[in-house]
Amino acid sequence: MALALESPSMPEPPDNPAPRDSRTENERAIPSGMSKSDVGGDKLLMDRVRVREQGAMADIFDRYSGMVYSVALRVLNDSGHAEDVMQEIFFQLWRNPDSFSSSRGSLGAWLLVVARNRAIDHLRQRRPAEPMDEVVVASTTNLQIEAERTIIMQKVKGILGDLPKEQQQSLRMAFFDGLSHSEIAEKTGQPLGTIKTRIRSALTMLRKRLEA
Amino acid sequence: MTDGQHISQEDLALFALQALSHEESAAVRKHLSGCEECQTELANLRGDLAAVALSVDQRPLPAGARDRFIKKIAGESSSASAPKPAQPVPIDRSGRVPRAGWAGWLAAAAMLIVAVGLGFEVSHLRARLLEMDNRIASLETGKSHAEQVAELLTAPAAQRVLLSAPKTPPSPSGHLVYLPSRGELILQANNLAPVPAGKTYELWVIPANGSAPIPAGLFRPDAAGNGSVVLPSIPPGVNAKAFGVTLEQAEGSKTPTAPILLAGAVPLSGE
Repeated sequence: MALALESPSMPEPPDNPAPRDSRTENERAIPSGMSKSDVGGDKLLMDRVRVREQGAMADIFDRYSGMVYSVALRVLNDSGHAEDVMQEIFFQLWRNPDSFSSSRGSLGAWLLVVARNRAIDHLRQRRPAEPMDEVVVASTTNLQIEAERTIIMQKVKGILGDLPKEQQQSLRMAFFDGLSHSEIAEKTGQPLGTIKTRIRSALTMLRKRLEA
Repeated sequence: MTDGQHISQEDLALFALQALSHEESAAVRKHLSGCEECQTELANLRGDLAAVALSVDQRPLPAGARDRFIKKIAGESSSASAPKPAQPVPIDRSGRVPRAGWAGWLAAAAMLIVAVGLGFEVSHLRARLLEMDNRIASLETGKSHAEQVAELLTAPAAQRVLLSAPKTPPSPSGHLVYLPSRGELILQANNLAPVPAGKTYELWVIPANGSAPIPAGLFRPDAAGNGSVVLPSIPPGVNAKAFGVTLEQAEGSKTPTAPILLAGAVPLSGE
């Protein structure tokens, strides 16, 4: 698992967003009657994206591009390809904002799953296995504020790092390496049923401890 | 794969990870289309996967990535908006001074030459543009066809059928299990031809020491061509090098009668 394999230290804040003073007037535009605090929420930002407001799309990009890029980079291990995946995801969201529905969960969690899936598609050099608008992610995790996100990241790393090594290995091979259950079974020499159980147990434990 | 009436948690997790085979994914997708409970659990599992993604260390974006994105959406927006129709501009004639003489005619002639030259250039460029359009259309047609082929080959819902010559009769075959130390044997044969009246199939053990074949049971196939011999009377301790089936008189035979209809050699130890 990444958290066990990667540095346990606090992650450095992403080199993103860009400094505010680099933004154009068009990007800064806020509809009349809406306060600055209203503008910050994902749902309202997406409403503004639906009326083709580039500034709102830039805000969403600033908020989540580092996260999306990092996941794609972890899977692909190539900055160029990872950027391609990231640009494609945000551009598709701009062109088709309805592919994400706030009733389905948080935008950040949805983008993370889409990023991982698109990166795996890229890795396997195949067409997208699942359209973006069919990905439904139930998550109440608030990833909008960077400080809160950093705390959750640390918590997730801790939980995954506490899992038995074989569960970490199976989950990592499925999630980041994009291997099928039979490929994992073949590589590890373990029965298919064992691999299935390890992955399910890892996810169950993660959910249980995040909810605790 | 289903746990009673629902997809098991293990398989739903693998589906969310896209770690199932095409066939398994298709089965899960089919179930999901009519099961809200499994849809809900799948969404929850994807929430778990989003948390797994959060374990990745954050990396800085490549230089210029943000600018590239902003330019891209700005370009897309401007190309999407319709071009404004050109507005006529009134010509201001008040300040114009009439010029007399040949200078005006010379200028007009020069302009005419330039215009003719430009006309040829425009015509040439239009021809090239048309040619390039045709090439792009041709390439797009080829690409679309290739994409269609790839989609068909990878579609989870695609049905896969093995075709073969319809009138070829299936060939007879048999599966045999033999334990020499106990002299125990089971044969299951399939696709056997019906035996004529007064005849029977007979199984033979061919000993490895070169001694005479040992009869190992009589059998007749059923209407579907299936026949079996289960635990016939064979002396224990006979190492076999092969087994054979022949067609014999109904009461059986002491020695096999050619031809041998089914035969199989015992694999060498370690095979």
